[in-house]
Amino acid sequence: MTAPVAPESVPPDPGDDVAEAPPRRRTGLIVSAVVAVLAIGFVAVLATREPATDRRRDSPLIGKVVPPLSGETLAGGNFDIDDQRSRWVVVNFFATWCVPCRIEHPELDAFNQAHARAGDAVLVSVLFDDDPASARDFFDRNGGDWPVVLDGDGLIASAFGTPKVPESYLVTPNGRVAAKFTGGVTRDGVDRAIDQIEQAAAERGVP
Amino acid sequence: MRLLGWLAMAAVLVAALAIGVADDGGPRTPEERARNLAETVACPACDGQSVAESDAAASRGIRTLIAERIDQGASDDAIRDELVATWGESILLTPDSSGVGGLVWVLPVVALVLALAGVGYVFWRWRGMAAVHASDADRELVDQALAPATRARGEDP
Amino acid sequence: MNAALGQGGVILGVAASLGGVATLAVALRQRRLHLIAVGRSYALLALLGAVVAVAAMERALITRDFTVQYVADTGSHKTPALYNVATLWAALEGSLLLWVLVLTGYIALVVHKFRRRLNDPLVGWALLTMLVVSSFFFLLLLFPANPFHTFDPPPGFDGPGPNPLLQNHPLMAFHPPMLYLGIVGFTVPFAFAVAALATGRVGEGWLLETRRWTLFAWGFLTVGIVLGAWWSYEVLNWGGYWGWDPVENAVLLPWLTGTAYLHSVMVQERRGMLRVWNLSLLCATFSLTILATFLTRSGVIASVHSFTESDIGVWLLSFFGLIVAVTLGLIGWRGDRLRAPGRIDSPLSREGAFLANNVLFAGFAFVVLLGTVFPLIVEAVNGDQLSVGAPYFERMTMPIGITLLFLMAVAPVLPWRKASGELLAQRLFWPAWVGTGAVVVAVLLGAHGLAPLLAFGLGGFAAGSALRQVVLASRRQGWRGVVGRTNGGMIVHLGVVLIAVALAASSSYDTERELTLDVDDSATVAGHEITYLGPRTVEQSNKTSIRARVSVDGHVYEPAINRFGEGETAVGTPAVATSPARDVYLALLQVPDDDNAGRIVLRVVVQPLVLWLWIGGAVMLVGTVLAAFPGRRRSPTAPVSELPRRATGAPILASANGDGRAGRTDEEPVEVPT
Repeated sequence: MTAPVAPESVPPDPGDDVAEAPPRRRTGLIVSAVVAVLAIGFVAVLATREPATDRRRDSPLIGKVVPPLSGETLAGGNFDIDDQRSRWVVVNFFATWCVPCRIEHPELDAFNQAHARAGDAVLVSVLFDDDPASARDFFDRNGGDWPVVLDGDGLIASAFGTPKVPESYLVTPNGRVAAKFTGGVTRDGVDRAIDQIEQAAAERGVP
Repeated sequence: MRLLGWLAMAAVLVAALAIGVADDGGPRTPEERARNLAETVACPACDGQSVAESDAAASRGIRTLIAERIDQGASDDAIRDELVATWGESILLTPDSSGVGGLVWVLPVVALVLALAGVGYVFWRWRGMAAVHASDADRELVDQALAPATRARGEDP
Repeated sequence: MNAALGQGGVILGVAASLGGVATLAVALRQRRLHLIAVGRSYALLALLGAVVAVAAMERALITRDFTVQYVADTGSHKTPALYNVATLWAALEGSLLLWVLVLTGYIALVVHKFRRRLNDPLVGWALLTMLVVSSFFFLLLLFPANPFHTFDPPPGFDGPGPNPLLQNHPLMAFHPPMLYLGIVGFTVPFAFAVAALATGRVGEGWLLETRRWTLFAWGFLTVGIVLGAWWSYEVLNWGGYWGWDPVENAVLLPWLTGTAYLHSVMVQERRGMLRVWNLSLLCATFSLTILATFLTRSGVIASVHSFTESDIGVWLLSFFGLIVAVTLGLIGWRGDRLRAPGRIDSPLSREGAFLANNVLFAGFAFVVLLGTVFPLIVEAVNGDQLSVGAPYFERMTMPIGITLLFLMAVAPVLPWRKASGELLAQRLFWPAWVGTGAVVVAVLLGAHGLAPLLAFGLGGFAAGSALRQVVLASRRQGWRGVVGRTNGGMIVHLGVVLIAVALAASSSYDTERELTLDVDDSATVAGHEITYLGPRTVEQSNKTSIRARVSVDGHVYEPAINRFGEGETAVGTPAVATSPARDVYLALLQVPDDDNAGRIVLRVVVQPLVLWLWIGGAVMLVGTVLAAFPGRRRSPTAPVSELPRRATGAPILASANGDGRAGRTDEEPVEVPT
């Protein structure tokens, strides 16, 4: 599809030909190299991302004493986090209209059942911008018997700086916030976090 | 004659655009301003939706806050700053133009400049290549190739 | 039984694909080319495996066989029949079954189409590549994403059913298969690209022979994306159709590079140029389909679309890396063979326009990709968390869209090699008047704002140019004037213009209001009277639907909130009053109940011209089908300058306007729509 060039018509210029080839090969190589580097970097970034669940996030609360958390529960009783000293506490903010909350619910149930027996960790949920009747329905349908604190005026959520659900905070037996999870937790994820923090504390010699 | 046609077209177009664009003075009502602002704020309880689109409780709260602040006369920037102070950087649906976030605005422009430069360079280099001129030998080749067709048309090849 | 059968099918698929890869590798390495035909048998076995696995799964879903893990996780007695079939693609593992079915189907078609050329190493390489891809996906089904694990259901067990969002609308049945037919379809031209590079035979017309495959894949992908937008609009209760959500963006990326490729390959056909561009675009398109699967399935980016997270991310990312590495390597290796001897004479030419087109689409894809992954990159670099949302994408893509509209107007009238100003002015005169007319009409109808007016004007300009081409061609060739690549392409352009105009209008002139209404209350939104008439509750097998009867200008609509599974998740279903001029979108936000004294909260969104988005999509589909229509050239690789022949074999010489010049005039070629 290209017209053959008769030799007489193009003034012969061998210098032209020789000069052309290497720069072009070089630009091709340079472009390929740049693309390769970008691609490697890109894949590396993607490979090291954690999935959206079990993501531990930074929070200004970490390391500090847990904010006050007390109030009436769904069952009608009272819950105060200060009563839970000497046990790990998982504070879980949830709502029935939140799909990832629904997904993490069986994990929380599993966590609660395992640790209720051992008595070393306690799970408490805080209802986030939702009505108690829906929450009661939800727990009736899906099981789970841990305290659910009502937070009608949203003071508890504000104190923890919780903008969205699901969010969970891990509180040490000393009453300090150790970790924050967003996007839903799994039972294994929380167990692992507890182990990691205990190990780190043991290495530092902190009781 | 055609030229008149083009001129007339240009006149009509400019007039229409002038009318249309003059009308657009930005948001007309406080509600529109609130809505525009809400569309740039991410819903903290959802993923990726704006506060204007989502009906989660947190979104409703932020929309109320925006409306209140607009009534109180705050500027768009001041409202956005307040939201960032309470909720963090990720409350804004698009990064501010300063800092690392600014890269997302700058990089496409850089890419565009590079692309234009690249295309310009390629054309400039091609211009430098020797132009091809047909020689008599070439013309003969062409005549030979077209011979059957010219004969069929009844002309002399 | 179903689990065993399905598992058997997957294992057959794995074995057949891997066996085929091995056989073909040996065949190509040792030049025992007759073995390539054996590769065909492996391909057909893989298809059989996929068919068996899908059939077993569908049977399990329809009979609600909860001994199959996947059915236990996603099926339910309460799900209506149609949705049970569609549940196949409601979750990760099942959708992978759909993928391998489509892929092996395409491979079988390729094997059939090229059956007479099966001793050609190039076909062998292509088949090898395709079987490598199918091996990968079958392996995914065997290991990280196995749907056929068995499960021991306790008595009285009922599954949760598919995600409620996916049960709300029959479009669920069509959107994913269309999308997969498109995405998976790009594997075929990609395989031929790899084959051409591997054998070094990049000068022949292999990419052109697979043009129709690419066109079909692209067509399906377009339909899949438009259906996705329609589904988003009709189901998701937020009043929009495109949210620049990461999953939406992920699927848009291969569409963008695929569109660029479809145009740019014409330059390769005509002048043998832009080969590096074409191969890069094609390989990028396929790589982006794998990246899209990774972004959607790995849970790395949370989105309203997120289906699931699983370990599959590592596999997909590795495969993506492998593809990028292999294609970069191949293109780099064969780079010198790809250089074209010619050059683009002038920027003002069809070649120049297609080059500009490539740059624009590549830029578009770059912006979309950057915005989508930027939060991840920033988090990796310094831990900050930012969001990049719709306002960014809209602001960045709008100038690109406007420029593309302009290019759509000018490019079809540009001749090859070089154009003069007078030629352009002469050809573009009437299209320019159409564009001006569009602006005038818009302003008269009350439109304002520079961006939408530009969109309307340039859209009119582009439509005028496309219509001009079709009209001229029809005048000359009758019905053949609307089929074939050029003319079908013009009709696709018309569809694009419709969509562009609808996008501009519906996003610039929309009105949104949130109304709190008691029974018999009325309100006016953008000139429409909205009256709440009262509630209505409907019980269905899988959901309880609480509906609000709302009258819009006298017609009654019922936006609803559906509760699935007795009070667990509530999903809103909007009702839309559609008309050619505007849509009135009703979303029920709060149900009437005792707590709020029977009041409802209703979001009303009035957007002009939304209907034309879907009409434009349909026009694009029609244009694609027309473009696939075979032209008079016997094969796509016959020279473009070959004169057409009458049935007797005599060449057709006189041009239509009878001025005695053979074949071509300065106008568009008479005889080569393909």
